Amino acid sequence: MVNRAKIKELLNESACSHSKNKEKGQGCDKVKPGLAAGGCAFDGAQISLFPYADAVHLVHGPQTCLGASWETRETLSSYSGRNHTAMGFTTGITMNDVIFGGDKRLEESLDYIVKHYTPEAIFVYSTCVTAMVGDDIDMTTSLASKKHNIPIIPVHAPGFAGGKNLGSRLAGEAVLEHLIGTKEPEYTTPYDINLIGDYNVTGDMWQYMPVFEEIGIRVLSSLSGDGRVSRIRTAHRAKLNVIVCAKSLITLCRKMKEQYDVPWVSVSFYGKRDTSNAIMTIVEALGDPKLIAKAKEVLSRQEKMLEEKLQPYKKLFAGKKAVVNTGGNKAWSIASSLQDLGIEVVATSIRKSTADDIEKAKEYLGESGILMKTPASEQAKIIDETKADILLAGGRSLYTAIKKKISFIDVNQEKKVSYGGYEGLLNLAQDLKDAFDNPVFKNVSKPAPWEVA
Amino acid sequence: MEAISLSKHEHKPLQINPIKLSQPMGAALAYMGINNCLPLMHGSQGCASYTKVFYTRHFNEPIAMYNTSVSDITAVLDGGDYSILMAIENITKKNPTLKPELIGLCSTGLTETKGDDIRSMAKDVELPYCYVHTPDYEGGLESGWALTAKALIEQHTKETQKINANKVLILPHVSMQPIEVEKIKEFVSSFGCEVLALPDLSTSLDGYLSQGQGKLGTGAITIEDIADLASSGSVISIGTSMKIAAEALLQKNEQIKHLHFDHLMGLEQNDNFVSFLMELRHIDPNPSIRRWRGRLQDAMLDTHFLIGSNRYMVMGEPDMCVGITELLQSAGGRVEVVISTVYSPVLESLKVENKFVGDLEDAQKYFNDVDLVISNFHAERMLYSSEKECALVLRGFPNYEELGNALKNDQLYEGSTYFLFEVANKLREMQHHL
Repeated sequence: MVNRAKIKELLNESACSHSKNKEKGQGCDKVKPGLAAGGCAFDGAQISLFPYADAVHLVHGPQTCLGASWETRETLSSYSGRNHTAMGFTTGITMNDVIFGGDKRLEESLDYIVKHYTPEAIFVYSTCVTAMVGDDIDMTTSLASKKHNIPIIPVHAPGFAGGKNLGSRLAGEAVLEHLIGTKEPEYTTPYDINLIGDYNVTGDMWQYMPVFEEIGIRVLSSLSGDGRVSRIRTAHRAKLNVIVCAKSLITLCRKMKEQYDVPWVSVSFYGKRDTSNAIMTIVEALGDPKLIAKAKEVLSRQEKMLEEKLQPYKKLFAGKKAVVNTGGNKAWSIASSLQDLGIEVVATSIRKSTADDIEKAKEYLGESGILMKTPASEQAKIIDETKADILLAGGRSLYTAIKKKISFIDVNQEKKVSYGGYEGLLNLAQDLKDAFDNPVFKNVSKPAPWEVA
Repeated sequence: MEAISLSKHEHKPLQINPIKLSQPMGAALAYMGINNCLPLMHGSQGCASYTKVFYTRHFNEPIAMYNTSVSDITAVLDGGDYSILMAIENITKKNPTLKPELIGLCSTGLTETKGDDIRSMAKDVELPYCYVHTPDYEGGLESGWALTAKALIEQHTKETQKINANKVLILPHVSMQPIEVEKIKEFVSSFGCEVLALPDLSTSLDGYLSQGQGKLGTGAITIEDIADLASSGSVISIGTSMKIAAEALLQKNEQIKHLHFDHLMGLEQNDNFVSFLMELRHIDPNPSIRRWRGRLQDAMLDTHFLIGSNRYMVMGEPDMCVGITELLQSAGGRVEVVISTVYSPVLESLKVENKFVGDLEDAQKYFNDVDLVISNFHAERMLYSSEKECALVLRGFPNYEELGNALKNDQLYEGSTYFLFEVANKLREMQHHL
């Protein structure tokens, strides 16, 4: 069942800066009709759990929920079995199920999946309609779980419950309630961590995992990039939870601290400084002086290697100025990466940022940096005034760049390569170089023959 | 393997790797084809957000899409009027420069389940308002689009007894891309007709660089045009799904001549189309049309060796499947399997052994029996990971991988010609791989 008390609690997370400074009852995520731009709670829940490749993800709802969303995210997996993240499963309920209830269909679907796909687990997502008509998903999944002897986990995050962020929290709740602590790991080490909130989009995790391995940090489980259900069940034995760029799963980490005494740290792997900071934060939290020394040694070598590879780019980028118009933590994480490449970030958007994000943006951009509250109307003027060379923004801003005859990178489009970790910074550098070199922005901005005076 | 029969009822309890898309998504796309329309989806915020991302990636264009963001509280307490009216107020207040000429509302599974009265809202909305019931637990993309065209006519076209004999209304089915609508309009107007299309995406999502796009629909038909549609001399529905919209128009003026085509692909259908236009205007087609007919004849002959010696699977919305299947068959192509997103009576007439409503899990079982698959992009990953080497031509929604989707033309003599060459060349490429 959708639990109103739980939703209220999640919306007033004490550890989250969305709700920290707000009046009572005004927590995160309250939407006004007409003004909600992002995805719904179901979207957030699905994003958070979908990367578990050994589980089947069954969406119990009508057609839009999965029909429009499957195979949209490049969440890579190294799973050697059948990779369910690239597949879509939905009960696709019809009028009949709305009238008579969809439990029967759900039960038959679960039987079908177990028979034909033998997954390690099944996540069943409720959606607006099935929550509304009151399908007893808890009962159906619990009976099926006993019958088939695999975890079948109900995820109660119907779209109308709120935004993506809340959905992600609700997904965390489902994992905590049904999976974490249900299995013991084969062995443990003093350097076991859980990675929380990195979904391995375009292989982001794989950019920094080799560095972890070299230092000796072991990822016990992940929620949920390149994840396995069989491993998240052992997550309670980790020494540390590491939240990657995701405020939404703070609740999960706080509760794991309370229930299993696993402390947490929050980090970002975008750019050189943030990657190094992240790794130092992790080893310091683990607290072993030997590990810290080893990390320092590895990082200094990695940074030196990276610096050498970045030199030619830095020469090219010297004196270049950028304007960044994107949401949330990207407002500062992309800015930080650009600075690592020697590009001056003259302005960034804080339209969709939390108080924490704004603080960070201020810190990275310094005194002279402009924080744009309404970037759509401000950015053109700022490009003129600062003589910026490149705009990094979503597709809607392309015309601004064309009009101002400057280079453009679409940072909201699904990217094909990772910008995470040290190697990812090189990918970003190459994309920037390509953008600066490409004459297309100048060429298309030429006036038409009938526009020439 | 047990054969699946064509039926209105599903053959299994779930869909695995679905190709079916939802009704509200079809409705939203239709509203984008109306000039200065504000497409408003009445549901939770996710319905609109998914739809927006879906079309953004298919068309590579900013998408105009708003939603009433129904929450748990409004889901229970509100009859729809609060969320809809507040949404319109909030959107217009936040964007004072936005001057919508029509609020295009479609419902979703959520708001249909709770039973909102979206009809009575009209009196409280200060702008012209159109509503359409599109629960996503019924129908699909094609019916959502068609129902919207029908609703626009029913609610906004004024009854009249006047007829402008030269005025032709085209009702294109949902799978037609913007350039296809434009080509058909040009074709008809070359006979000296005044031509409109409903919905008309030819100037919306057609990959055209312009300023300030993406806030409202930029389709080529205005709300005034829609009001005045009953003076059309003829209405031409293309695709079986669009018959309901044509019938709605005849209710406004029974003198209107209705002509129906299941599709405009291949020689036969286009010959019928041209005959009608010749009769209507008493003139011969212009030299370009004659030239293209000859090119299509030649293309059919040039490609028939390859096309006739291979087997096909066609997947997608029913009206699109029918056009592609009949064009391939006209050049000897052996279409072995047609998998449709939803049931449509037009499928009954197809001369294909295996035709049914299904998903890509069903399709996979037939990969060994065919040489070329025509499907949306979801088939790509599955085909590449299957052992059987099959050629693939991408058609229908969504196509997240290829660029220039809006400008792919498969209609009329011209588009059919290009389509046959594309298929033949894909087959040739595949034979080199083997």
